[in-house]
Amino acid sequence: MTTSGNEESGAPLGDLLVAAQHGDADAYRAFLFAVIPFARAVARRRCWSGDMVEDVVQDTLLTIHRVRHTYEAGRPIKPWLAAIVVRRSIDAVRRRERLGRREVHDAVALETFADPAANEPTGADNRRSVERMTASLSQGQREAIELVKIREMTLADASRASGQSVASLKVNIHRAMKKLRSEFGRGDGE
Amino acid sequence: MNAATDQLIERLARDGETVRPLRSPVVRATLALIILALLSGFTILMAGDITGLRAHYAGRETLLAMEMLAMLSTAIVAVLAAFFASIPGRSRRWLAAPVPFLLLWFGLSGAGCLADLSRAPPATGVVSGRCLLFIFGTSAALAPWLIFRLARARPIEPLPVALLGGLGIAATSAFILQFFHAPRLTMIDLLVHIVAVASVVGILGLLNRPLLARP
Repeated sequence: MTTSGNEESGAPLGDLLVAAQHGDADAYRAFLFAVIPFARAVARRRCWSGDMVEDVVQDTLLTIHRVRHTYEAGRPIKPWLAAIVVRRSIDAVRRRERLGRREVHDAVALETFADPAANEPTGADNRRSVERMTASLSQGQREAIELVKIREMTLADASRASGQSVASLKVNIHRAMKKLRSEFGRGDGE
Repeated sequence: MNAATDQLIERLARDGETVRPLRSPVVRATLALIILALLSGFTILMAGDITGLRAHYAGRETLLAMEMLAMLSTAIVAVLAAFFASIPGRSRRWLAAPVPFLLLWFGLSGAGCLADLSRAPPATGVVSGRCLLFIFGTSAALAPWLIFRLARARPIEPLPVALLGGLGIAATSAFILQFFHAPRLTMIDLLVHIVAVASVVGILGLLNRPLLARP
């Protein structure tokens, strides 16, 4: 049932609640559904997020269930309801503020490696970007780019590390750069 | 409509057995005050020193009557306010209702102390400890009944209810104390009275949730 019980039954809210106090489950269901728009409207004035408003609405329903015996037949129901929603809204805001004070964002808490560079959140992203860009290169070209351009080794050191001759490293780097430029459309050189 | 909210309503409607609606706060407060009055009256008649009280205030009966009336009014209005505050949607003005009577009570007690000072040198204040214990003891004896009655409403905001209930109890205890009091009051005694009343109110205020917020 998702429609307003108040509109369905045509009974005033107070009468529905009095019937609910006497154990009428249908009247109680209709009353609770009818309360939701009012509760949501009151909660929106104090709560800034949709999630919070829904939390307040549900808290309000639970509180109504707990204190439904305090409604006095014949008295206006809106002040009774509004007091409950306002109280639950204040509780929700305070709860959110308490959580906000406890849960402080601490960048240091994210560190897991001794090497400070390894803890940089962008490091992993950069690495993935390079891997994606060099995926289309041949094994030799990728190795040459990694040793000379990324690790900044000299040609002699890169030659020793890779087993490629200096000349072949130069050729591989030249072809790799040409391929990367053509693929990623950048003309700003190496 | 939120599905979780729909489910919650269905569950609550299923669990919604018959409940007995509370009577109006005035009726409930009156019943609670009658019980408190009977307990207080019984205690005073059994052990109170009414003759000593009359002798102490001889010639100042008006001051005595006003002071005791202020105490009694504080107790009655505080208890009434506690019952109103326990019901959602009742006027917030009830929260401040006992304050004028409380100020009148302490003001008249202060005037009584000054009158004693002019009649004789100040006493040592040794009665203070006994007064403190008396107010604590009497409050401890009377509070459970009132708390039990107030908790029936399951107040959604238990703190003001507990504070007002505490004030009602402390004022009743102070009223009963008048019939057991030493013949002379010093300023220290008055301060101890204020501390005792504030302590009772504070203790009940601190215990507001365990005492009143029933699940």
